[in-house]
Amino acid sequence: MLNKPIYINGAAAISIQEPLNETVIYNPLNYSQVHVRCIDPVFKEHLNPIAARRMSLIIKRAIITARYAVKMAEIEKPDAIITGTGLGCVQDTEKFLEAMIRNKEKFLQPAFFIQSTHNTISSQIAIDLKCKAYNNTYIHRGVSFENALIDALLQLNKPKIDSALVTGNDEMTPAYFKLLQRLNYWKNSVDSSLNIVDSENSIGSFAGEGSVSLVLSKNKIKNSFATINDIKLHYNPNGIDEKFIVDFLLKNGLNTDDVSLFITGANGDFNNDLVYKKLDNLFDNNRIGHYKNICGEFYTAPAFGLYAAAICLKNNTVPKTMMLSNNNLNNINNILFYNHFQNRDHSLILLSKCIN
Amino acid sequence: MLDEIVVSGMGSISGIGNNLDETLQSCLQMKCAIKELQHIKSIHKLPCAEVSYTDAEMKAILNIADSETATRTALMGMIATQEALNNAKITNDSKYRIAFLNGTTVGGMEKSEMYYFDFLENDKFNHYIEAHDCGACTEKIADYFGCFSYVGTPSTACSSAANAIMLGAELIRNGEVDIVVAGGSECITKFHLNGFNSLMILDKEICRPFDETRAGLNLGEGAAYIVIESSKLAEKRKIKPLCKLSGYGNACDAYHQTASSPDGDGAVIAMTNALETSGIEPKDIDYINAHGTGTPNNDESEGKAIARVFLEKIPYISSTKSITGHTTSAAGGVESVISILSLNNRFVPGNYNFKTQMSCLPFKPVSEVITNVDLKHVLSNSFGFGGNNSSLVFSKI
Repeated sequence: MLNKPIYINGAAAISIQEPLNETVIYNPLNYSQVHVRCIDPVFKEHLNPIAARRMSLIIKRAIITARYAVKMAEIEKPDAIITGTGLGCVQDTEKFLEAMIRNKEKFLQPAFFIQSTHNTISSQIAIDLKCKAYNNTYIHRGVSFENALIDALLQLNKPKIDSALVTGNDEMTPAYFKLLQRLNYWKNSVDSSLNIVDSENSIGSFAGEGSVSLVLSKNKIKNSFATINDIKLHYNPNGIDEKFIVDFLLKNGLNTDDVSLFITGANGDFNNDLVYKKLDNLFDNNRIGHYKNICGEFYTAPAFGLYAAAICLKNNTVPKTMMLSNNNLNNINNILFYNHFQNRDHSLILLSKCIN
Repeated sequence: MLDEIVVSGMGSISGIGNNLDETLQSCLQMKCAIKELQHIKSIHKLPCAEVSYTDAEMKAILNIADSETATRTALMGMIATQEALNNAKITNDSKYRIAFLNGTTVGGMEKSEMYYFDFLENDKFNHYIEAHDCGACTEKIADYFGCFSYVGTPSTACSSAANAIMLGAELIRNGEVDIVVAGGSECITKFHLNGFNSLMILDKEICRPFDETRAGLNLGEGAAYIVIESSKLAEKRKIKPLCKLSGYGNACDAYHQTASSPDGDGAVIAMTNALETSGIEPKDIDYINAHGTGTPNNDESEGKAIARVFLEKIPYISSTKSITGHTTSAAGGVESVISILSLNNRFVPGNYNFKTQMSCLPFKPVSEVITNVDLKHVLSNSFGFGGNNSSLVFSKI
């Protein structure tokens, strides 16, 4: 799809791991809870306290990771800002909704409504970066981030667009955690979050949340993380087969042997992981990785996964916590990243090591 | 040279009509659909433009069991998508890669606001929890047809549908899909009715876009989609296109979360980019279907932006929200359909309820329908909260 590979030049995350630190994937925290909230940076070190008072939590996180990634990418402002979010500013949505129901539509303050629309995140980033460029937001369940990413890559195919900030943002409020609990999204208990993928054959995962910003660019810089070579989004409520993956690789002149690492969205939920297990024939266990054990499950968790993949390519090493084999993996050239949501929405992303 | 993108079909349901024919007739007669709220119960006496069908009526039309979980937004979306697919002669067993891009913001909120405390306290309405998020709504519509191999949900509040159309054109140009059904769907909810009301931007009377006395907007609801594909494919499929989607622009005002900048900077960039990608000059635009919500802020900001871009020759301008109400996320779809109807039926829709020109603007909108007029290029504006501004240009073939 891409005219030429696109570089990931900036990457920042606030997650359930130590914030704004690229090394977290090599030394992640282990949790024994089913609902883990982000470890936030000290906001007053990053944001003007007066401005920050008007911002909801998700906006603070988004603005901080966006600024970090933009600075890292050595640009002043991007030529496009695109956000993927499964639930948008759900905390403010809940506040407005609860007040409206409890007070029977009376005495409502506009502040929570103003902040409730999903596109608040992208537009607040634009206001913060004083950036009037292309701006968009996608909300599509477990592939919200990939929806945003494909748009960013489409924009980067245009001559006038050199860089794009693409973000994945979601917060898991106690209320929404409870709602998803009713739909069996979560396990009853978790002993060790890092081992959740291979622990047991039970239903549900553990909940995380996060804000991830990536700056994509046509131009390589000294600190470029990796390249994105191709992306494919596919909708099929009946699932995909091996051919879907093989064809995608073929289109890029590769076969399965060329893939150093196959990263899945395995999260410890029996039904979710079964979809990946059915592809076991394609790659041996020594080449299969995952990330949701590090960041938890939320709609835009793949944004954290791509962030982790980019770091692995930059450092040429994958930590054992990300590996199904539980062994470190070195010398990686190509990563194939596959994610599905309810075996309905499917996304493939091909990443490669930067070539000097 | 970029591939030419053509519109090969469309479908619409809104307060002014349940299909294309009714929509056209209402536009030609300038029949305003804004009246007392029927389908939802609110303490506020605020006029709105609702789709006339009840949910049960829509389910009957669609042959969906009454017991099936389907939000009003999804049902309206199915009706408009069905019309668009028929109009573009696309069958459910089509061999082409077809995308469904559905702009929406409220998603399943219409049911969530009824059952929210049940969601928190019991398992009675779990099926509506699953239907709450916007993506679920898009997939509900897509699954009804079963012909879509790509789905996506752009959500930029009131410019969602316009952004869906822009994404669609890019997906075709980059060879990701062959055909795109793009637009938006949104029903009125108490949530956004109260939200807009708390911002004090709802008029208690019938709205008056671009009028000196304007005092806010009226909400509407609806769903509308256009079908786009490359001119080559349309030719191969032996489809006579309705028009070209010749250009589009998206920019961010980056000024304020809910207010537009005083001089409409974001709107100027969006319109300028749309003209540039169309390869036409401002003077070539014959008609602007304005965002024109009727709020003091939007109409001043948009009006000034139009005056800045179209300095040389101000085209015909009207806001059809004066008859459809503001259909929020669907607006870009509803108004694209109206723009294309005006191109192909040689008329300029009127701006209903207009009396007094705004003192800060050098133009007034078209107040009566103009017929028998040749239009070559029409520009449609959709601006959303957060300064998400998008403009589309449709051109006669």
